[in-house]
Amino acid sequence: MLLILQGDAELWAIVLLSLRVSLMAVLISAVIGMPLGAALAVSRFPGRRGVIVLVNALMGLPPVVVGLLVYLMLSRSGPLGVLQLLYTPTAMIIAQVVLVTPIVAALTRQVIEMLAEEYSEQLRSLGVSRLASVPTLLWDARLALVTALLAGFGRAIAEVGAVIIVGGNINHVTRVMTTTIALETSRGNLALALALGAILIGIAVAVNALVSAVSLRAEHEGLTHA
Amino acid sequence: MNTESNTQPVIEARQLDLVFQTNDGPVQALRDVNLTVNKGDFVSFIGPSGCGKTTFLRCVAALETPTGGSLSVNGMTPDEARRNRAYGYVFQAAGLYPWRTIAKNIKLPLEIMGYSRDEQEERVRKVLELVDLKGFGEKFPWQLSGGMQQRASIARALAFDADILLMDEPFGALDEIVRDHLNEQLLALWARTEKTIGFVTHSIPEAVYLSTKIVVMSPRPGRITDVIDSPLPKERPLDIRDTPEFIEVAHRVREGLRAGHLDD
Repeated sequence: MLLILQGDAELWAIVLLSLRVSLMAVLISAVIGMPLGAALAVSRFPGRRGVIVLVNALMGLPPVVVGLLVYLMLSRSGPLGVLQLLYTPTAMIIAQVVLVTPIVAALTRQVIEMLAEEYSEQLRSLGVSRLASVPTLLWDARLALVTALLAGFGRAIAEVGAVIIVGGNINHVTRVMTTTIALETSRGNLALALALGAILIGIAVAVNALVSAVSLRAEHEGLTHA
Repeated sequence: MNTESNTQPVIEARQLDLVFQTNDGPVQALRDVNLTVNKGDFVSFIGPSGCGKTTFLRCVAALETPTGGSLSVNGMTPDEARRNRAYGYVFQAAGLYPWRTIAKNIKLPLEIMGYSRDEQEERVRKVLELVDLKGFGEKFPWQLSGGMQQRASIARALAFDADILLMDEPFGALDEIVRDHLNEQLLALWARTEKTIGFVTHSIPEAVYLSTKIVVMSPRPGRITDVIDSPLPKERPLDIRDTPEFIEVAHRVREGLRAGHLDD
């Protein structure tokens, strides 16, 4: 049954689109989420706790609801309707960015806050503003931040609710692994669904292996001073 | 011995008070502290735990804010002085970050202060030489002995040319042989750089060996009980500790510490 794996062009096109959409989404989320999370970690303003709770809560956004909201924004009568992005890969990337950015921001905030605590006295004795230390903190936390990005990627690649609503699961245009599995299963084409499922699980396992490899290395670097 | 006439005070405290508000009520950490530190002085603060010696150093560094009296550093408020990079601070534990190499640890302040890469390299090279750690830049902290780590920590405090070096029990965790060696090196460093040094310690011999001025403090409330201007020459081999002058100063320090306790 899994012989389909051998050189089925259509299957690989679907896999590649999945990877393209989710990697792009993670990249954009990193650019938005990391500085945001770091700024949240080092800044002090009234209502900061509330913002942190909000960002943490947004990590658990239901993909279907995000799909619906992005759909409303992008639909012809929506505020961004003129861009005609609905049912394009770009729409799917936007939906996934909305899903992943809170994950990246929240995890970055945690990591950077802990690190800033370690650096706190040293930084205070230098008399520099807290925000000036953000680039250094981000760089020093890079291994932990890779883990955050991989967590975001895992979420994006496995998610079906948002991409199916804003992408529409159009053959050769917006059909990705998860949406294809949903469709082919309902059609009874279990061979293709299973093949894609196997690949998806493979990616999930690979991402998790990467996460643990990276965090093991981060831990190693942190602990060896003892 | 003491040349107060033409040197300007680097640190000047007048009737300094600091009261911490704790859950068990207010704690008087410093009471009526008066002290003048001149340029190039090596000042030790000695006393039992809770006498306010570290607290005073932290006030100078603007890490704590006094609740009364006045304190000036280089003629400025401590906070202004900090922003002018008046001092480098060596913390109790070496405080090196295990995920950074020694060179990168020293670069940390330079990075954040925005020095150029070339400048950073140059300064790291210079201070590593100054503390005798040439060639250890690429090592990680755990690859170095405790004494070397502490020297790296001093190098970091020296990296950005502050005129004042504040050291909070830097050698407290080290064994006596290593400590002797580091004390000797610290004096050599002080002679070479002509910095003003504020040094917190628990050890009477260490205070007497290093200092031009010894500030004896006592707890509850934290206050100064004696200020001793050392009669020892600037040039001090380790065996100066066996001379009668040395023993006499040590004796006076011990008396000061005892007097503080009798008040309890």
